[in-house]
Amino acid sequence: MADQTPVIELRHVDKHYGDLHVLQDINLTVHKGEVLVLIGPSGSGKSTLCRTINRLETIDSGEILIEGEPLPQEGKALAQMRAEIGMVFQSFNLFAHKTILQNVTLGPIEVLGIPKAEAASRAMELLRRVGVDAQAAKVPAQLSGGQQQRVAIARSLAMQPKAMLFDEPTSALDPEMINEVLEVMVELAREGMTMVVVTHEMNFARRVSNRVVFMADGQIVEENTPDEFFDHPKTARARDFLDSIKGH
Amino acid sequence: MDFAQILEEYGQNYATAIMQTLSMTALCFCLAMVISILITVMRVSPIKPLRLVGDLYVQIFRNIPGVALLVLVAYALPNIQIVLPWKTCVEVTVVLLASAFGSENFMTGINAIGVGQIEAARSIGLTFTQTMRKIVIPQALRSAVLPMTNLLIATMLTTALGSQVPLNPQELTGLVSYITTRSTGAGIVPFIISAVCYAGMSVLLGVLGNRIDKKVRVLR
Repeated sequence: MADQTPVIELRHVDKHYGDLHVLQDINLTVHKGEVLVLIGPSGSGKSTLCRTINRLETIDSGEILIEGEPLPQEGKALAQMRAEIGMVFQSFNLFAHKTILQNVTLGPIEVLGIPKAEAASRAMELLRRVGVDAQAAKVPAQLSGGQQQRVAIARSLAMQPKAMLFDEPTSALDPEMINEVLEVMVELAREGMTMVVVTHEMNFARRVSNRVVFMADGQIVEENTPDEFFDHPKTARARDFLDSIKGH
Repeated sequence: MDFAQILEEYGQNYATAIMQTLSMTALCFCLAMVISILITVMRVSPIKPLRLVGDLYVQIFRNIPGVALLVLVAYALPNIQIVLPWKTCVEVTVVLLASAFGSENFMTGINAIGVGQIEAARSIGLTFTQTMRKIVIPQALRSAVLPMTNLLIATMLTTALGSQVPLNPQELTGLVSYITTRSTGAGIVPFIISAVCYAGMSVLLGVLGNRIDKKVRVLR
């Protein structure tokens, strides 16, 4: 369960895309072992927020802390920090020219300096955990979307991250493959991984998360426990949003 | 004079000219590849002045006719006390031209990779250099095999610029003028022989390029 050690802190974070104020005075703390779900209509800034945490997006003002340390600006220090925060993308983004096994071993070998043989055996262990060890010698294009996303999760886990970010991990998947990815994420949550998940999977949010953060127009509009949020949304924006997705 | 006579009289010259064309092609293409990788890395680097220099290089050398560039290198540079051997002049010209086009081929390959894989590489902690070395360049190289085969052929054909300066031995095109000034009855025949040599070598390179492409192509 979540304890009170902050892993990720955002303080007064602002960001503009031209005239669009995409993040407005965002304050958010994610504690160790917490599963935080970010939801909201498209264009609300939730993906941008997720991506600022490992500086794939820069911010205009405010600060972001990882385990109390401010996010480095550029260079080696930033690379080092990124290695400690896992990221899973909507479109998998596996390395197309490398085998599944090589996708998972690349980071440990190049960044952590782990010997090849050891990296490979640990990678196989992770691939087994996400159920794609039989595909280790194939290249990404030979796998289904669901399999690719599970490999992407294994690739992140191989770096032994302090926290993991999921940016709409199931949005690009065929419906029958969504569950196989969600199950892996549920398992991770059970094992105590600190997770920030941008998703439209309301069942996942309700069942697995400790806290739901609802965003709209670049602001955090509401945050609450999943049961409270889904059963008794406090704001009109959240009620409208929940009504609009009820049909699904 | 017919084919047999010309081949009998100048067969040895043709063999030497083919070797000259091929050796210039090999040297120029290898140098062009190295330079186009460097230029391409500059063009995608996070440092703006480097990007500008890289883009400028490509815009300049992609947009100057080969003959004009050769005239500059061979006949204008001596005005600022840079006097290169004739063969080097031709090779410098060909490398400048080919590397500009080569960089464009690599850029196309890089654009095909997409920003997603690059973000993924950064997100597992690879530095810019590591991302280039491990993710971007290997894929750009593989997807550039076919366009680079075309560039290799173009490089070979561009070594015909060697006919515009006194080379010894001559390459395939220079040899044609050598023969026609010596044997006035030769007519179009020496040219046809050279053309057949060029075409034959181009076809061979094309087939080779296709084979390599099939082996290394990245599945998407």
